Amino acid sequence: MRGALLVCKKEFMELSKDRKTMFFTFLMPLILYPLLFTMMGKLSQSDAASRKGKPSRVQVLDPGQVVAPLLRADAKAFEIVAAPPGDVKQAIRDQKLEMLLEVDAEAAAKLERQQTFGLKATYDKSDDSSKLALSRLKEVMTKQDKGWVQARLKALGASTDLAVPSRLETADAGDMGLFVGKLLGGILPYILMLIMFAGSMQHGIYATAGEKERGTLLSLLSTSLPRNQIIWGKLLYVFSIGLISALINLLSMGLSIGRMFTAEASHGAATAATGAQGMGSLAALANPLILGLTFLLMVPLGLLFANFIVMMGIQAKNTVEAGTAIMPGFMVVMVMAVFSMAPGIEKLAFLPYVPILNVSLAIRKLFSQQGNALEYAIAFVMTVGLAGTLTWLSTRLLNRESALFTV
Amino acid sequence: MIQLMDVHKTFTVKDKKTRMKKRIEAVKGLSLTVKPGEIYGLLGPNGAGKSTTLRMIAGLMQADLGRIEVCGIDNRVEPEKARGMVGYLSTDLNVYARFTPRELLRLFGEFQGVDAKVAERRGMHLLEKLQLLDFADVKMEGFSGGQKQKVSIARALLHDPKVVIFDEPTTGLDVLTAKTVLDLLRIMRSEGRSVIVSTHVMPMVDEICDRVGIIFDGALHGDAPPKQMLESWGVKTLDEVFFKLAAQSAVEV
Repeated sequence: MRGALLVCKKEFMELSKDRKTMFFTFLMPLILYPLLFTMMGKLSQSDAASRKGKPSRVQVLDPGQVVAPLLRADAKAFEIVAAPPGDVKQAIRDQKLEMLLEVDAEAAAKLERQQTFGLKATYDKSDDSSKLALSRLKEVMTKQDKGWVQARLKALGASTDLAVPSRLETADAGDMGLFVGKLLGGILPYILMLIMFAGSMQHGIYATAGEKERGTLLSLLSTSLPRNQIIWGKLLYVFSIGLISALINLLSMGLSIGRMFTAEASHGAATAATGAQGMGSLAALANPLILGLTFLLMVPLGLLFANFIVMMGIQAKNTVEAGTAIMPGFMVVMVMAVFSMAPGIEKLAFLPYVPILNVSLAIRKLFSQQGNALEYAIAFVMTVGLAGTLTWLSTRLLNRESALFTV
Repeated sequence: MIQLMDVHKTFTVKDKKTRMKKRIEAVKGLSLTVKPGEIYGLLGPNGAGKSTTLRMIAGLMQADLGRIEVCGIDNRVEPEKARGMVGYLSTDLNVYARFTPRELLRLFGEFQGVDAKVAERRGMHLLEKLQLLDFADVKMEGFSGGQKQKVSIARALLHDPKVVIFDEPTTGLDVLTAKTVLDLLRIMRSEGRSVIVSTHVMPMVDEICDRVGIIFDGALHGDAPPKQMLESWGVKTLDEVFFKLAAQSAVEV
């Protein structure tokens, strides 16, 4: 094993000489995610704040002046505007106003006769400001309707409870930790798979086909190091880079998302309690057993990816050929990663026997606290077996002269 | 000591025209011996089988048939041990350009199981001999071809090999650097190492080789000291031997 460690050390030494690659591999994720999520958080906060602080511009067509005074009275929420030139719908789409409200011309008379009058709101469903205008209108009208109903009941001498036969109260029996766990368990395998593969791909190509292309592999093979140790050293390097990349990205992403949630929760007093509960649940998910078991699954998965990359890299004549050979593998992993996020896939009976996907399933179940020891064991053993087979194949390939020399 | 006994090597290649695979016998029953303290010149035109023979001796390739021994070790039975006895240099080989010569030599010292202090001392001594000591701590990215070749030589000799294999050691080198390499080969001979070199440069053969073997179409045609070789072929230069062999080969075809 000494030889493998030496080869791995050589690869890391080479990497350490390339400051740009070091920066993009190890430091960039630590800068990128906090920057990205802070910006996203700030943008969403300032967007929401600016929408909430601004009255909705509404053109009101209300000949009977039944609803218009209600809106005019709430100047913080509504601004009655004149008819824009041209098509009103286009004006809403162009964000010149948020809503057009047309009130039945007979509204006052119908109210008087204790009949129902109609209102028609035209808004843009795809625009948040326009949706806010509608929700503000609904709020005003619900309150007003309640007042009108109570007045009518009072006029009839009936109890105000007549219009409210029942009152529904709700209580959330769900566990926030479980909810966050399910959410995280759905996304985590996707992130792990993609980052582990993509993070180690270029390094794997550099260490295999790249060495061939640069003419350095033969000098390594001419030493007294056993061939299998050379391949194991390269595998160890590619695997380590994949694992380190995944851990750095996860750490950075996790902390950034957590920070964004906290900031958003503290921003709105109404959601503060929910946010704090969510964060508390996230902290509860930092169960060493769950994290340890997840890490244990990542090891053979990373080895499997590293083996595939090294195997393809060794067979290729140059880095371009290696990249082309590895890309279909990456596409397969990407499709599997996306598939693993699909809701309800855990119910598929064959899934524990599908390589890679069974790892995703096991991680998913660990985080949603539905871990199944047998499924976990199948995923682990199957991935270890596959990784071992590929290691054996890679070692054999490095002994194949046609893979090393262009005859 | 290097010993090759009836060594055969065949490659399978794809014919671009017919798209069929065909077998090419690159080395056909080659036998030769290089004694300690001897420089053996392996001569031959391009594609004759020189590099394949040297790669087989270096343990980078395996012979299909026959036996190769390096210092009495069968390189098929104990490949790592045999490779540890060999210092191999080829124009196909390059240096790890991100490293400095010192770093590279330290690393290869570890690969070859040489003690760190010994590797450092021996590496610097070799760089001094190759007039490259001033560049010991400079990244090799900006090195010329000659400078890289010198570092490769130091790398090949770092573990004090008993057998030295240099495939075209002076190709692409200027006259001064080539002279340094030839001087180093002479030193290695005087130290009792078995040296085998392949080259196209005939004056170099006259100058340093104790014995030459001419390889043509995978087979060895003559194995003798340079002067004796010329006499046996009845020619004045080794180039003429090639011409005669080529003519013979054309008649046979």
